[in-house]
Amino acid sequence: MVSSRLTPYYFLAPAILATAAIVLYPVASTLWMSFHDFVLYRPFDVPFTGLRNYERLLADEAFWISLWNSFVWVGLAVGLQFALGMTAALILNESFAFRSLARALVVVPWALPSVIIGLMFTWVYDYNLGLLNDILLRFGFIKSPVAWLADPDIALYAVIVALVWQGFPFFAVIILAGLQAIPGDLHEAAEIDGATRLQRFRHVVWPGLKGVILTALLLRTIWVANSLDVILVMTGGGPGYATHTLPLYAFLRAYSGMEFGYGSALAVVLTLFLISVAAFYVRRTMREAFR
Amino acid sequence: MIDRRSRTQRFFEIELPAAILIVIALAPYAWMAITSIKPTADIARFPVVYWPDEPTLIHYADLLARTTFPKNLLDSFIVAVSACALGLGLSVPAAYAFSRFGFFGRRFLMTQFLTINMFPIVLMIIPLFVAMRSLGLLDTVPGVVLGHATFAIPFAIWMLTSYLNGIPKELDEAAMVDGASRVQTIVKILLPLAAPGIVSTGIYIFVASWNEYLFAMMLSGQNVRTVTVALQMFIGEYTIQWGLLTAGGTLVALPVTLLFLFVQRHLIGGLTAGAVKS
Amino acid sequence: MKRRTFLAATTAAIAAPAIVNAQGTTTVRWWYHFDNPQHSPAELIAKFEAANPGIKIQAESIPWGGGNDYYTRLYAALVANNAPDCAMVKLANMSRLLEMRALEPLDQQIGGWADASDISANLWNLHKAPDGKRYYVPLQYVVLYLYYRVDLFQQAGVAAPKTFDEFLKAAQATTKGDVFGFGMRGGAGGHDHWGSFVLGGGATFEKGGMVTPKALEANRWFVALGRDHKVFPPSAPNDGFRQIVDNFKAGRTAMTIHHVGSANEMVDALGDKVSAVPVPRAADGKGWTSFGDESNAIFASSRNKAAAFRWISWLSTNESNVEFNKFTGQLTVSNKGAANWTLHPKRFVDASAQSLAIADTLPNVPATADFLRTVWPTNMQRALLGQIQPDDMMRAIERHYHG
Repeated sequence: MVSSRLTPYYFLAPAILATAAIVLYPVASTLWMSFHDFVLYRPFDVPFTGLRNYERLLADEAFWISLWNSFVWVGLAVGLQFALGMTAALILNESFAFRSLARALVVVPWALPSVIIGLMFTWVYDYNLGLLNDILLRFGFIKSPVAWLADPDIALYAVIVALVWQGFPFFAVIILAGLQAIPGDLHEAAEIDGATRLQRFRHVVWPGLKGVILTALLLRTIWVANSLDVILVMTGGGPGYATHTLPLYAFLRAYSGMEFGYGSALAVVLTLFLISVAAFYVRRTMREAFR
Repeated sequence: MIDRRSRTQRFFEIELPAAILIVIALAPYAWMAITSIKPTADIARFPVVYWPDEPTLIHYADLLARTTFPKNLLDSFIVAVSACALGLGLSVPAAYAFSRFGFFGRRFLMTQFLTINMFPIVLMIIPLFVAMRSLGLLDTVPGVVLGHATFAIPFAIWMLTSYLNGIPKELDEAAMVDGASRVQTIVKILLPLAAPGIVSTGIYIFVASWNEYLFAMMLSGQNVRTVTVALQMFIGEYTIQWGLLTAGGTLVALPVTLLFLFVQRHLIGGLTAGAVKS
Repeated sequence: MKRRTFLAATTAAIAAPAIVNAQGTTTVRWWYHFDNPQHSPAELIAKFEAANPGIKIQAESIPWGGGNDYYTRLYAALVANNAPDCAMVKLANMSRLLEMRALEPLDQQIGGWADASDISANLWNLHKAPDGKRYYVPLQYVVLYLYYRVDLFQQAGVAAPKTFDEFLKAAQATTKGDVFGFGMRGGAGGHDHWGSFVLGGGATFEKGGMVTPKALEANRWFVALGRDHKVFPPSAPNDGFRQIVDNFKAGRTAMTIHHVGSANEMVDALGDKVSAVPVPRAADGKGWTSFGDESNAIFASSRNKAAAFRWISWLSTNESNVEFNKFTGQLTVSNKGAANWTLHPKRFVDASAQSLAIADTLPNVPATADFLRTVWPTNMQRALLGQIQPDDMMRAIERHYHG
């Protein structure tokens, strides 16, 4: 079979068509809305306002707080998910008695809907009736209960813990699959050559994993940056603006204020930030992949 | 693999960390499971009740007999399996193209697949609802499946491309030089080698669909209703049905965990072992 | 008027073939939300269909999701021209639905409905739109009152408070050890608590009404309950209805404000130790408590308005309305139905009835929905945490309503 120049496009066509059919229109209309004063309950009066929604952002205190929280949110949640997931994958790649059970149990957090996770953690964090305060009080780690979700200095981190718990199995599964693709012979050879475990990790494991890990990190960053259901359930963005992130703020503007124009502008700004992160990454990996 | 570590060393370096890992992964889930067997009066009691005096399965009985939960589980399963099949069916060929060809628009298309996923979904659901309505797909299995699959495609393509990039091109080139057709090369050489990656991407799509709430809430209705939407029904305006909610939450995690246990045993292990030896 | 007749004529023309199928039955799509999914309106529907051959009810249960999901679905369906014929709705969303021109005025049909007079004039007035027309048919309601712990009050030697001053004394007297005097709701929906003291204390939603000296003073007093007197639990800024009810049930708070919907679970947990009175009033005798409403409305896009009205009016009629409230745990709108009410212990129904005199809803304007969801919670939380001054909070609310 001779491959024509069109061959790759045949392989791509189904995915492109499906995506275009379903996603293109919503994305385009979000962009369109961001340039209009679009209030959902005023469908007959949608004036074009150009960049006014974007100008309004700059003077909006809540936007800046949300932006900063988003950085903290993405940085900590992705970083910790990765660290925990990597550790888990390395442990699970060893052989031990209850390995396949352990491999299956580790995915439990990932197998739960966000709404349930949000509610369970809220319940565990409860000031009066929560498990966490009760345990900490019993062991004497704290003198009086802590209002985990009502204290603005703690709330964001308390929510991040829930998200880390939910997300680390993703990294564990992805990295484990990558680890398994590394030929065992390589390990043995390295070990016979007297390489320490750290050396083996750097020279044998890491090169094989790098591509998968970078991709997983990028995809997870996008996912975490956009995820809001856990925050929504646990704090609704409060107390004050303490747990507002950009997508949550966009969501509140859109569905509570019904200001889809302004909400869309917030969403576009978030997307621009993510694109700049991704652009840096894509440039690097593409160069490597194009041999 | 040769292991020169002593038993104690192994215990502290592998088995203990593995046990801690399981505790971390299970503790909140276990707390939910315990809550689900408490009588209603014990659920919100001060001081905290760690283990009920009279464990009860009443919440499970109510859940299975008096709500639509069993049907919702089935709906979720159908949707997740279909989304997984459709998602892989669309993204494996695309990832193959991205990984094995250099062509005009390659970087652009790949970036587009990523960009499209960066929009917060929440703002897109009303236009999506309008689009699905005009396609006549509201409250149908294909509608929800299409929604879940298309939004998983970008992730899937990217993951798969990086797995495929990890497999030396020389392998399939050699096969094609030996006279194998492109399809044969893909089916016989590439897919088995990429199996762990494909399986974990498949699991990713399955889980994403299984847990997805927003699309399911907007696009489903009376005919199709996934478990996430059904669970949300237990959170009312003035009350939360804690018993039903925790019982439902406990059950929801089981299919994915069992699936994973199965995949673990029968697919990943065997396939990688085979692949690695070649 | 002209426009309406024109619309009516066109819809009738389009509707005629669409609504009547081969057997001559009309199908009415109705959206509802129940707190407990174990309840199903199937029996009620069967009863209605038996009494009204030719009408079939297609009931669709929509997740409430804190109010968000239900209304997101509803607005999306309206935008996509896929709305049901009728649905359960709340006053807070009326003005938005009106701006979308989504609602059908029902005055004419209500005029021809014999049992309309069984719903009190008070209720009809509360549900009137700003333009004077009636778009909503009341279905159920609750009035917020003050729960208090009889035993803790006796131990502390205080009586159930009637005024703000007595409230503060009672809260201070019962705050000790593990117990806080008042379980305050600072998360979304908690404006009810704030309203009793700040709207009751003289603040209004008129232009300038939030920033009068009296209004500012009332709000300072309320914030001080938490910040200076510390009679709220520290978790108050994030507490929702579940936390305030659970904390009260667990004996961690001595008072809280909620409604008859939680009365039965309170009695299950606390028995005779719990009772209720209307919320306290200001020194000048003024008071405010929140009226929690739920109605049915018919959408302008419906092709089956007559059948839809038959259904929603039937739901608000005597026995069927009482049956309906068994599923939701709220109070019937039917006077006849209320006469022999057995769903809740009497003391809580009485406290609700006594509270009606000061019960009111928030302004029927589009800004209210956002006030409830974000403006009030965010500013209240920040004020309780000391991130902003109480007066800043009032200025923010004034700005939200009047720019």
